[in-house]
Order: sequence, then structure tokens, then C-alpha cells
Amino acid sequence: MDERPPPARPQNHSSIAWVLRTLVVVFGGLAGAFLLNPWGRTAPLQPIPLVDPSFLDTATVRRSYANLVQAKEDLSDFDCYACHEKNKPPVLRFDAKQNLIIPSEHSDIVMGHGEHGRNNNCFNCHNEANLEQLQTRDGRVVKFQDSPQLCGSCHGPTFEDWEAGAHGRISGYWDRALGPYQRQQCVNCHNPHSPRFPSRKPAPGPHLLRPPISVPTAAADAH
Amino acid sequence: MSFPEPHVNPDAAAPGVDMSRRSFLRTSAVLASGLAAIAASLSPLRELDDYTSLDRFMQKYYKELTPEEMEKVLQRIAADVERQYGIRPHVRDLKPMNGVEFVYALNLTRCIGCRKCVHACVQENNQSRTPELQYIRVLRMPNGSLDIEKAEHNYAPESVPEKGHFYMPVQCQQCRNPPCVKVCPVHATWQETDGITVIDYDWCIGCRYCEAACPYWARRFNFTKPSIPKERLNPNMAYLGNRPRRQGVMEKCHFCIQRTRAGRYPACLEVCPAGARKFGNVLDPNSEVSYILRTKRVFIQLKEELGTAPRFFYYFDV
Repeated sequence: MDERPPPARPQNHSSIAWVLRTLVVVFGGLAGAFLLNPWGRTAPLQPIPLVDPSFLDTATVRRSYANLVQAKEDLSDFDCYACHEKNKPPVLRFDAKQNLIIPSEHSDIVMGHGEHGRNNNCFNCHNEANLEQLQTRDGRVVKFQDSPQLCGSCHGPTFEDWEAGAHGRISGYWDRALGPYQRQQCVNCHNPHSPRFPSRKPAPGPHLLRPPISVPTAAADAH
Repeated sequence: MSFPEPHVNPDAAAPGVDMSRRSFLRTSAVLASGLAAIAASLSPLRELDDYTSLDRFMQKYYKELTPEEMEKVLQRIAADVERQYGIRPHVRDLKPMNGVEFVYALNLTRCIGCRKCVHACVQENNQSRTPELQYIRVLRMPNGSLDIEKAEHNYAPESVPEKGHFYMPVQCQQCRNPPCVKVCPVHATWQETDGITVIDYDWCIGCRYCEAACPYWARRFNFTKPSIPKERLNPNMAYLGNRPRRQGVMEKCHFCIQRTRAGRYPACLEVCPAGARKFGNVLDPNSEVSYILRTKRVFIQLKEELGTAPRFFYYFDV
């Protein structure tokens, strides 16, 4: 066609057109890619079930007599002289192996305090002369509400730790100037008749996004 | 602008007129489709709704904020939370108390491995539920060793404690000499005078250097936007503590700053059924932790040999 070199302006135009066309293609390609998603969308995460609110509960393991008094709950279980006779200490009965025979009225009690079942006398702790009170081995009478004194009469070091706050639970304010704190008694966590801390179901462990890499099991490690 | 080349275009209009009808239509069609293509290709940006607040973007460094500016920031955070969760939170900026240095002590003899602390922490500190993000990792180890290589944290028996094992919960150790603080390129994490190493979530750039530097695996990264169900949101919040985080920032245990700087015990301690967790002011000689450090067999700071000097102590009874 025309042999003359094209004028400067149109040449400029043609290069702009090329750039614009390329850009349109690039953006069009990107948009298409986002729409069609050829590399595959990441699978949505499976919702992890919320943890059972019981695992968030700050209550103690058990409720003590002092708790029940505080909460003004039914204390008829603790009315000893509804069944027992006053001024007549109950008689303890033992089987051939010197194990305490627990009367059917107290069948909820599991005797498991101390090794070898030797701590099998109710009146090691209960006051036989007044069943509504406790007694230490050296004869001090202790009220139910003050039971840590009784526990401490045998478990001295633990009692010391408890008094200092190193054993047992304290909740509320660490800064005593800013608010109240609450110290739990021995019997809020330990059943005095079988004081070993009860086992419980653990809260769910961490949920992994991928299946776990196998770890050496405890059984394989045991020697 | 007119294109394509008018000099070869047979539809070229009369001299003096730049554009024929056809070239106008073509041009506008190309323009429209080009703009649509740009908009469509930028569409993934719409998912970044977290990043839109200009106020947050322009916010100054935590330590440079004046009290008035901080007040504004707290109001902005409260408004953000209310918009997202429908709950008006109580957001505070709690400063360290004078004469207080926090120390944690954990009784390995008493811990039964029930993981209640893990979940109480998640609840208190508004961590993401899906994916799950937890500050505390409870390790189960065979008796007679303290080899973390043999530790297992996915244990799931019917009941705990299990025979022949003990449990060691690990969380941020609030080191006196924290490696995570040293590596942060933007000073978004630092140690406060009460010993808590904090993170400014609005200053963090999400490089995860601190996560790599921490020898206790204590730092967690928000790979996604944290998902917290409305009914489980804790409205008692602190700026450096449990306010909801964004995607792309680090977080970790901060000793429940929103509780402990107001004088209360941390959530993990409150929920521990076994009383294995002890917390307090080590500068107060009458505190529980002072008594424990004085009289108990405090055997480790975890990975003591690294010289991080944790404020988290493990001890035994007997």
C-alpha cells in the first residue's frame, strides 16, 4: 500500500492499542480463572464442635458439708440423731479380715482412706460421743465446718502447704487489696472416706487439620 | 483516545471527526469489557473486609499513643466488635501495676491432664474455634523421664490420669530473656514491667519470626480469620489481651492480662480442678508463688539450658 513511513501519531496509537488489548486479555484471563477456578478451591474447614460447657465449669470436684450449709440445702443426711441414739456410741462390726462392715444405711461410703485398709475405724475421725462433730486422734473436738484442722492433724506438711496456698484451690483475686478470694477446703476436692483425687474424662484434645503424624506410643516406650 | 489506527480504517469518518460510530462502539465495548475484567480479577480483595478500616491503618504504635488517642482506639475496637458480633464489649487498656512481677507455678504432681485449662483459656481469650487455636498444650509423658521428644499431646483415654504417665501443660513461659521479642522486626511484641510479653495485634505484620524463635511452641498464628461463636464471645477485653484478632497476626498466652492486671487469677487457674496451677506476684513475699519458690522442689524452668529464664515454674510435691 502506502510506501511512506506511517506518521508518528498513528504508530503511537497502534502500540497503545496493543498494550490495551493485551491488558484486556490478561484481565479477562484472570477474571475467567477466578470464576472457573482451575486450580481448585481449598476445601472449606469442617466446623469443629464447640467444647462441652461442663469443661468450662469452675466448680470443685465435690460439695462439702460446709458448702451445703452455705447454700442452705437439705441437710437431713447429716442429721445423725434422726437414726442414732444419743449417748450411745454406735458399735462397729468387722469381718474376719478385720475389714469394716459398712452398715447398709451408709452404703454410699467407700472406705479407702490410707494404704492396706488399716484406717478402718470410723472413730479415728468421727467423734463417737457426738456424731455431729469430728475428733482428732489426740482427742481434740473439731466441727464439720473446720475439717481441715482434723485433716491437718495427720497430714501436717500438706496442711502447711494448704495454709500457704500452695496446695488446693484458691480462686478470686490474687491481689487481696482489690477483691475477695476463696480458699477451698480439703473436702471440696477429696472425699474423706476415700481421698484419692477422682479420675475424670479429659476434655477433647486438639483437632488437627490433617491426620496426625504417627507418634511413638507410650506402650512402645515402656521398658 | 481513539483506536484502532484511524489511518487504515476504512470506516474512518470525515476529516475533522475523530471517530466513526463503529469505532466508537468497538472502543466502548473494549473499554467496558476491560473494566469488567479488571473488576472481576480484583474480586478476591472483597474478602479482605478486615483491612478496610483507615483508622486502624493509620493508627500509631502502641507506646506512642496518647491517652486520648488510646481512648479513640478502644472505642473503634468496641465498635468493630459490636458490628461483627452484636455484643458491646468492655475494652480496656490495662497498664502494668507497680511492684508486681507475675510468676506462674505448676504442680506436676497434681496435674491430672484433664485439659480443662486449655478450653477455659480458649473461652476467656476469644481464640478461634475453627480452625482451633489454643494457647495451652498438655503433654503426656511416661513416668521417670522428662523427655519432651516422648511427649504426646493427642492422648484421648476414657479417663485421666492414666497409670504410668504424668502431664505437663505448656504455654507461654513469659521469659525474662524472650527470644521472640528479639526477632520481631517491627517491635510489635515486647516485655512489660510486670513480666508479661505482649503483642500489639494492630502492629504485627504476621511474619511469624517469633513463632520460629520460641522454644516452647507457645505462639500461634491466625492463618484464617478467627471464628468465634457470638454466644461464646467474652466481652471483658483488653487491648493487649483478648480482643478479637485479625487474620494474619500472631497471638499467645498473656497471663489473661484482662483479669490479672485487674487483680484476678487467670482463667486456667480458676478452672483447674486439681489445684495444680498457682499464680501471683513474686515480689510479694506472702504470695503463694513466693512460698512455692522458697519451699518446694521447683525443678525446672522448661529448657533451662537455653537461657530464656522463664517466669513459668514447674514443681513437685514431696
